[in-house]
Amino acid sequence: MSNGAQAASISPTLPGTADQAHPRVALVGPPNSGKSTLFNGLTGLRQKVANYPGVTVERRSGVVTESVGSVEVIDLPGVHSLAPRSLDQKVTRDFLMGRMEGDRQPDAVILVLDGTRLKTHLMVADPVLGLGLPTLVVLTMADELKRRGGALDIGLLSAELGVEVALVNARDGASLAPVRRFLRALHTGGEEVRACPAISVADAAASEHSPGRTLPVIDIFAERRKRARELGRSAAFRDPRPSGVTHRIDAVALHRFWGPLVFVATVALVFEAIFTAAVPLMDGTEALIATSGEFVARTLPESWFRSLLIDGVWAGVGSVIVFLPQILILFAFIAILEDSGYMARAAVIADRLMHRVGLQGRSFLPLLSAYACAVPAVMAARTVEDERDRIATIFVTPFMTCSARLPVYALLIAAFIPAGSLIGPLGMRSAVLMGLYALGLLAAIVTAALLKGTLLKGRPHPFVMELPPYRMPGLRSIGTRLLDRTKVFLRRAGKIILMVTVVLWVLTQFPAGPAGEPPEIGDSALGRIGQVVEPAIEPLGFDWRVGIGLVTSLAAREVIVRTLGTIYGVEADDEQNFELQAALQQDLGLGSAVALLIFFVFALQCMSTVAVMRRETGGWKWPALQFSYMLALAYAGAWVANALI
Amino acid sequence: MGSTRDPASNPADRTLADVPLEEEVVVVRIDVAGEDIEPLLERGIVPGCKVCPVRNSPAGGPTVYRVDGHLIALRRETASCLCVRSALEAAGVLDAN
Repeated sequence: MSNGAQAASISPTLPGTADQAHPRVALVGPPNSGKSTLFNGLTGLRQKVANYPGVTVERRSGVVTESVGSVEVIDLPGVHSLAPRSLDQKVTRDFLMGRMEGDRQPDAVILVLDGTRLKTHLMVADPVLGLGLPTLVVLTMADELKRRGGALDIGLLSAELGVEVALVNARDGASLAPVRRFLRALHTGGEEVRACPAISVADAAASEHSPGRTLPVIDIFAERRKRARELGRSAAFRDPRPSGVTHRIDAVALHRFWGPLVFVATVALVFEAIFTAAVPLMDGTEALIATSGEFVARTLPESWFRSLLIDGVWAGVGSVIVFLPQILILFAFIAILEDSGYMARAAVIADRLMHRVGLQGRSFLPLLSAYACAVPAVMAARTVEDERDRIATIFVTPFMTCSARLPVYALLIAAFIPAGSLIGPLGMRSAVLMGLYALGLLAAIVTAALLKGTLLKGRPHPFVMELPPYRMPGLRSIGTRLLDRTKVFLRRAGKIILMVTVVLWVLTQFPAGPAGEPPEIGDSALGRIGQVVEPAIEPLGFDWRVGIGLVTSLAAREVIVRTLGTIYGVEADDEQNFELQAALQQDLGLGSAVALLIFFVFALQCMSTVAVMRRETGGWKWPALQFSYMLALAYAGAWVANALI
Repeated sequence: MGSTRDPASNPADRTLADVPLEEEVVVVRIDVAGEDIEPLLERGIVPGCKVCPVRNSPAGGPTVYRVDGHLIALRRETASCLCVRSALEAAGVLDAN
């Protein structure tokens, strides 16, 4: 594959590896090029997800151990060029150029390109090879290229580019041999690892790397395209036929009539899975947490520490873990939809509707995720390239009815709404529940339109959506992503819940009685806080007890159920909470109960969301605005409900 | 910087939004200002590339185009910023390849 004549003229430059533990290789390539599949294929489960310093872009790395030593592989975000236009591109560029603070430059680069789309993907080769780092070009989708009648001579392409080229199936471990050989060469100094020579358009590429551009951007890309086509010609590249399967599926998925129907059916299926299929799993998880808590409680002697551990930590962290099955099911669906290629179609179908309210097709995925939990939804909004659209999407996600609201809705609806039928088979209770969902959605739509008309006003950016060919999703890639997401979710949500529940627990323990026993809830520090907020919430029809519930639910919405249980002195662990329902009926009228429901539709009572918002928007400005706005809306909505009913 | 200075401006030029399904055209100019042009360029929508509308989305949503063999969806307002010429005609003026 390598070509002697050229190799001889290029001086092998193996970067110094003596001082570092492992040489590091960066995976670079456009989105949907099979880069992450290759990364998973190389590293298996030995990967780590962190963030690049100061930004929200995820840094995925793993260690590959070969006979001659280990290599650190870093999977950079998918990019089409190295222009620092988006955060992903800026991170990729800074990392490759060694400008990332506290993160040294990689010793070599693996450039991953989709072999079936070589002529377009080769456009990114220019700026990447222009970096002058030892590079291996990996062309993926070898099987698909062959199946669709495409071909190329990688020897010729290698000669033309002056670097090694490998044609692989990223999912097939055996076909990764040339990649592993390249990794080994980083240790042995083999001739696969050589600095790549300057190529013809390097001057144009260089202008992208320097702040003052010499060529208009359009000319740079025109040059790159020309160069990519010349390369394709030299490598005897034969374009594959358009994918027949993709054409046939799109005939339905993007059909005038069937398209929206498939879309709605997909959304319905995801909902059904989240809200029906997940229930037994969530119940099981809950039981597991309760049983393990009881077990720990039995083994420890009665003390303040046991109380903190069980009533604080166990209950608090447990309230987050309970949502894990649901979130995993949601992520499994998202992974399947993304890897199969349907998600891009869904975004196209949703774009028109979303565009009307000031969002765009890519906002659809985060908003759908938000029905399970706003935390992963806010993170999912990273796929929205346009910064204003992304902020608007993040801002409205907490209005979507997340599953943490459900226990609260269930309790209040069961206590105050009669079970009878409203119209035919539609029960009164279901109707109220649907109404609450609709109200949240409406608030999201109005807010998005409002934002895009004011704070986030601006000329719309072009919406450019690539539709990758349909592909069978790989189990391995889905599994890895689920594991990834689980770790990230638990780490982010768990930390906050842990902190807040410990603070709440402390507030219920003080001031201690004469014998050191915890005070009655009304006399505790928390109870006093409830009495302080009472005047503020009295117009809504709430007393200090609900006030405490509202204060504690700032940590997480569902916490109010347990708090109210504690305040009214009833065990809140039986399935239907009958005792708690009865106690609430004594204290709240229908008006204030509906007011409480409305309050929960609008208010941002979730510290995890606030924290993730701060991370994703890079400051307190947006989360502060969002919190105040939603609180104002919740207060006004509850006031109106209480006054009218 | 947003557009090419195309010497052969042609009264027969249309915007991509006006091209009927299955007619292959060549992009001759992109009238998008500033950085907004980059997402198009990066995905291979560059003067000289062949574009063919293959599918209209439901209810006036984005249209799907085949660009150098792969599929890209564009909103009508973006498509109307792309000045195009029929593939045959363009062969004489630009290297349509």
